[in-house]
Amino acid sequence: MTGDSRSELFFLPSWPPVPDAVLWVSLTIVVAGLIGEFVFRSFRLPRVVGYAVVGTVVSAFGLGPSDTILKPSFRLIVDLALALLLFELGSRISLRWLRTNPWLLATSLLESALTFVAVYFTLTFLGAEARVATAVAAIAVAASPAVAMRVASEFEASGQVTERMILLTGLNTFYAVLATRFVFGWLHAQHAGIWLGAIAHPLYLFAGSAVVAALLAYSVSLIARRLDLRNENSALLLLGMILLALSLTKMANLSTLLVPLLAGVLLRNSSERPWIWPRHFGTAGGALVLMLFVITGSVWSFDALMAGAGLGLAVIAVRLLAKMLVTVALARPSGISFRQGVALGVALSPISGVALVIMADLQGLYPEFAAELTGIVFSAIAVLELIGPIAVQAALRYVDEDNIR
Amino acid sequence: MPLEPFADSRALTLGVELELQIVNTHDFDLAHGAPDLLRLVGRRKLPGEVKPEMTNSMIELSTGVCTDYTGALSQLSEIRDVLVECASKLNIGLSGGGTHPFQHWSDRRIFDTPRFNMLSELYGYLSKQFTIFGQHVHVGCPGPDAALVLLHGLSRFIPHFIALSASSPFVQGTDTGFHSARLNSVFAFPLSGRAPFTLTWEEFGRFFDKMTRTGVVQSMKDFYWDIRPKPEFGTIEVRVLDTPLTIEKAAALAAYIQCVARWLTFEQPFRPAEDDYLVYTFNRFQACRFGFDGTFVDPQTGEHRTIREDIAATLAEIEHHAIELGAEDACRRVRDDIGALGNDATWIRQTYEHEHLLAEVVRQQCLRWSR
Repeated sequence: MTGDSRSELFFLPSWPPVPDAVLWVSLTIVVAGLIGEFVFRSFRLPRVVGYAVVGTVVSAFGLGPSDTILKPSFRLIVDLALALLLFELGSRISLRWLRTNPWLLATSLLESALTFVAVYFTLTFLGAEARVATAVAAIAVAASPAVAMRVASEFEASGQVTERMILLTGLNTFYAVLATRFVFGWLHAQHAGIWLGAIAHPLYLFAGSAVVAALLAYSVSLIARRLDLRNENSALLLLGMILLALSLTKMANLSTLLVPLLAGVLLRNSSERPWIWPRHFGTAGGALVLMLFVITGSVWSFDALMAGAGLGLAVIAVRLLAKMLVTVALARPSGISFRQGVALGVALSPISGVALVIMADLQGLYPEFAAELTGIVFSAIAVLELIGPIAVQAALRYVDEDNIR
Repeated sequence: MPLEPFADSRALTLGVELELQIVNTHDFDLAHGAPDLLRLVGRRKLPGEVKPEMTNSMIELSTGVCTDYTGALSQLSEIRDVLVECASKLNIGLSGGGTHPFQHWSDRRIFDTPRFNMLSELYGYLSKQFTIFGQHVHVGCPGPDAALVLLHGLSRFIPHFIALSASSPFVQGTDTGFHSARLNSVFAFPLSGRAPFTLTWEEFGRFFDKMTRTGVVQSMKDFYWDIRPKPEFGTIEVRVLDTPLTIEKAAALAAYIQCVARWLTFEQPFRPAEDDYLVYTFNRFQACRFGFDGTFVDPQTGEHRTIREDIAATLAEIEHHAIELGAEDACRRVRDDIGALGNDATWIRQTYEHEHLLAEVVRQQCLRWSR
């Protein structure tokens, strides 16, 4: 009759139907949730292993991020989830403990330094280029706050190894962010001949992140003084503030890892009053953490494995050895048993989300150089993403600190 | 096992045992820190002893034999300082208090020894609910018969000890309305309550043999009485006190018991009688529920007064003995408590009123314990 060009059956979907991102995301959550529960019920393994498996499988069918660079939308989810976990982890770090038990700080510094040195020499020995070895060694200093916090809370772990794992993981994250920025800047400067950036970049990163972190910590403490953080609504408010701080961080080109970590540490150590909120800030945070594990699980490819699996495995082994050597050697002076020292070393072995973010940042800054590292680093991430949570769980069980079996 | 012989001990000497809470320092819930803490403390030299208790979140410290308040206080502070130092290396907190205000009993773990595992098997959830923290005071006795006379004499003063030490108003996150809710957990045990009225060791031995023949008990340890003889040490053991929030109060309470015991021994103001126990559970309940404001029924005269008034009257009676024992400071503390200060249960309630967060209350308890 008139000029309506649509068919009379315009209300029917087009064929074939076009799925949007929401479909994939929700499907991932459902499948990962189911597999996580399956893994837990059948094998008593951490649920996060199930989430990571989903990512690994998706990638195996070539459905993952093909070029091993984090897509902006994935990067956002990773940043958000890690921010929550790092804030939570930071708020468990007591600086007073480091003062009353200086052997802990010694353990942390030695363990990180030895990791760096051991990984560097192993890689050069196995024929890697010195600059690649240096960069990978700096990344290898990182630990996994995501795995530590998730496995600890999933099994309601408590005790010396759990507490120390959380503390040392936080410190490792801090060292790794600064060390990698410094190393990358320095390597770049050697290459390009501009030295100012090599020094100035880590400084700006640390100082700027500290300022944003202080702002976040201060506003959270203001809210906490008036509202009860255990209440669902206040927890959401807290979540919102962390996300807000994160967007400021991105705008100012600061570290999305340092800001939430430092904010947590500042909050915990600025007031003696205990801070209590629902873990991972309730359900919203839980969904983000699930996505984080799926995404980190998916960051691997056959190409990357081909290029770096051998070296990646060597890094994993040497790193574990270095950590255990120090945690066992300093077990007695720092006040734990030999057995607990072994468990602590193993509990520090995962590396995942943080290394991924560091790599993504590197890819943004120096893409060609990053490409040389992806083989080794992504192989290590892919393996530890699956084994790491199981290792942490085994370590906690070995010293009888898990409360759910 | 027959009743063991009553060991020798110097009359009116003191020994103090305190069960302590081990808490974490981020949300101040109970933590399974006992094995770690014991390992560190084991490397140090102490005047008394530090031992595991029923669950991994408790620890028990005990002094050696003390002659007076000053001795008890100095031993307690020496042990306390070492414990606090070791705990700070492990980032755990130590606290007094008869109950942990918000722990969940199902989260508790039994300390791995044969006896604790046996008890846990026998009592089931009661043993985990038994995560309660008491102070025990041993008083030396010149002989077994004197011990039993003193035991039944001190029974009249049980409400005093309860009201003065009470520090367990909260259980599982809720204000119970009691000053000492801890004792309600003790009542659940089949062999709790009071010792049988026997005034000679021979008579007591007959009771003990009859009980062991029934197979219900094997040793004195199986009786959870408010006061029980401890033949191994040659003492009687007062067990109704909640662990106070400070060692100063713990020492003062021990000294108060010592003064009352000296008064009873030297002046024999009452002759213990079975009928004294007619009002026993009533008085005991009043002390648990209402603290110093509870009603005290005089077992001899049937007169009603508050527990506060009866403590004040007792303080006047024992003044001379307090001077003899060097316990004037201790009695002054007791007087302050029944006056404006109130007991620890009152302090805990007031602190919660102000802070609205039980974790913060526990944190402040840890502070009070450590200085």
